[in-house]
Amino acid sequence: MSDHALKTLAILNSKAPYSDSAGKDSVDIALVFGSFEQPVSLFFQGDGVWQLVQGQDGSAIAVKDYLKTFSAFEFYDIEDIYVCQNSLEQRNLPATFHIEAVQVLNQRDFAERLTSHHTIFRF
Amino acid sequence: MTFINRQIEILIVKKLAVLVTTSPYSNLSVTALDYIETALKSNIELVGVFFYQDGVMHASKNIQIASDEFQAIQHWQRLHHTYNLPLHLCITAAEKRGISDEHNDSIHAIFTVSGLGELVELTTKADRMVQL
Repeated sequence: MSDHALKTLAILNSKAPYSDSAGKDSVDIALVFGSFEQPVSLFFQGDGVWQLVQGQDGSAIAVKDYLKTFSAFEFYDIEDIYVCQNSLEQRNLPATFHIEAVQVLNQRDFAERLTSHHTIFRF
Repeated sequence: MTFINRQIEILIVKKLAVLVTTSPYSNLSVTALDYIETALKSNIELVGVFFYQDGVMHASKNIQIASDEFQAIQHWQRLHHTYNLPLHLCITAAEKRGISDEHNDSIHAIFTVSGLGELVELTTKADRMVQL
């Protein structure tokens, strides 16, 4: 790989939105990489799929609703957003999300897409 | 089962960067330190270590770990002084945890106060960025 090869970043989110600050920490990284015009893809797996569920309100438990920030992804050119189909099915969640452009992938495609990135962070 | 032929690219890592998100009282810190030291001894250039999430606790002067337990800070100090290893601290994550250079002077001098922009920089500079 040459020094100038584009270094794609994948961020794997595997925690529920309000259990700890992992989701927020992850979004902060995504937006900073986006603002530096670095290619970022987001992956949601396991309990991380809860971050995409519609109609959540963190204020009910006095947590800042960082999920609102997800709607800013398109302004940062973050358009590659993937969710694991198996994780949705295990939780009996529909494939409807609070942001658009989310692609549902089966486990194998999810894994393949994830590992095609240069760097992976997980939160 | 169908196997997908994928071109495997052998990547020779010349420049390495590390993202530390585990606290000094986690056993995973030992793995991070071992990994970094082994890389340094193998003449791999460590462009920098970035501390984020609970990883920022490594920089705190106020952490007291029982004397018969692993003292991560001593190893960071040794690696920093022996190899001139750059140690970057996410100040937002640090201040959230009571670690500050302005309010209470609680950051070990070997750490550089940084922000997430530095993480982008390190990721761009390195052939490989590893989170531990």
